[in-house]
Amino acid sequence: MRYALFFLAIAAGVGLGLFYGWVVSPVQLVDTAPSSLRADFKADYALMVAESYEVQPDLNLAARRLAQLGGHPLDTVQAAAAFAVQVGYDPRDLALLRDLAEALKAYNPALESGGTPTP
Amino acid sequence: MRNGGHSNGYLVTGLLIGLALGLVYAWVLVPVELIDTSPQSLRADFQDDYRALVAAAFVASGDLGRARARLALLNDPDPARTLAMLAQRTLAEGGPADTARALGLLAAALGSGGLPPEATSHETPPPETPGAATAAATPSATLDAPASGTPDAGPTGRPTRTVTPTPTRTPTPTQGPPFQLQERAPVCDPNLDPALIQVFVFDAAGAPVPGVEVLVTWAGGQDTFFTGLKPEFGLGYADFQMSAGVVYTLQLAAGGDPVPNLSPSSDCPPAEDGRAVPGSWRLVFRQP
Repeated sequence: MRYALFFLAIAAGVGLGLFYGWVVSPVQLVDTAPSSLRADFKADYALMVAESYEVQPDLNLAARRLAQLGGHPLDTVQAAAAFAVQVGYDPRDLALLRDLAEALKAYNPALESGGTPTP
Repeated sequence: MRNGGHSNGYLVTGLLIGLALGLVYAWVLVPVELIDTSPQSLRADFQDDYRALVAAAFVASGDLGRARARLALLNDPDPARTLAMLAQRTLAEGGPADTARALGLLAAALGSGGLPPEATSHETPPPETPGAATAAATPSATLDAPASGTPDAGPTGRPTRTVTPTPTRTPTPTQGPPFQLQERAPVCDPNLDPALIQVFVFDAAGAPVPGVEVLVTWAGGQDTFFTGLKPEFGLGYADFQMSAGVVYTLQLAAGGDPVPNLSPSSDCPPAEDGRAVPGSWRLVFRQP
């Protein structure tokens, strides 16, 4: 009987610990990086880059902004475009993402920055 | 008494062990994962990057509704002020002038409740995300107000943007004839210490014009700033802090005659407390 109560107390403690750790004082979502954004926010982030790129065609700047989302800029834009198609973005927005993706296919950071390509 | 103490003891011990196990599980083994976060949780510098990007997109598209919806994701109580302060900080830290200008334009547009003059409005309501209670900046969930009827339903059953002519992409604040200096007046205000060059820019209709680039030069240096970065003083307002003994020349980057010989004046009467008041300058530019 005593052991049963002991293990029951442990179970209650686990429950309390989980409640405290997940509900009362969970890990705070602060100071996160853009790479942890939800897919729709990432897609909109990429769209903002594409909108800006349309009037300021600076691939280095666009790539640098996209790099904040993690991964290769081209992959990021293609993923954003796929999401955009999936949820039915406006055709103009899709075109902007496609244009940026096309530009990034030919993007060479070394050449864009005027540096010497590494072998 | 001892028996009661023993029974309490093992129960409390068990509870504490369980509590420790639960916390280890919740905080170490299976903590809340940092995925699927929202812009609100971004680190402060990333939030500033986000604001700059929203402003750049706004300058490109002229879509204030979309910019407003995106900024709302940051849960900022006063986004216009935050943008204006960020614009000033960007300039002060030697950041890109384009970025500062975009931030200033968006701050001015938000502050005025509309777009700056000659920036084509392309209002869209706040975006939605299918199946999500929290607002997400899903641009295709926006719609332009059609002339009549209900908005088109997109593939997901949500309203999508009606195809309308592409808005003016760059809301250039001024077009047409260059601004002309209409007023140059000394200002003796005890509250203005150090002395300022206060610039007010209006269009032909008398409306304040934000985003006008102002160039100040002096012996050995120059600086650039923009109207509208302090929306609390008016969208067409900008100021520059003068140093004693330095003579400045001011000119609007868009053109017009330079305004020479600007320096803190010593002609102002002293303040009530006997303190010397450096004289500021008030310059009013207007389009003819």
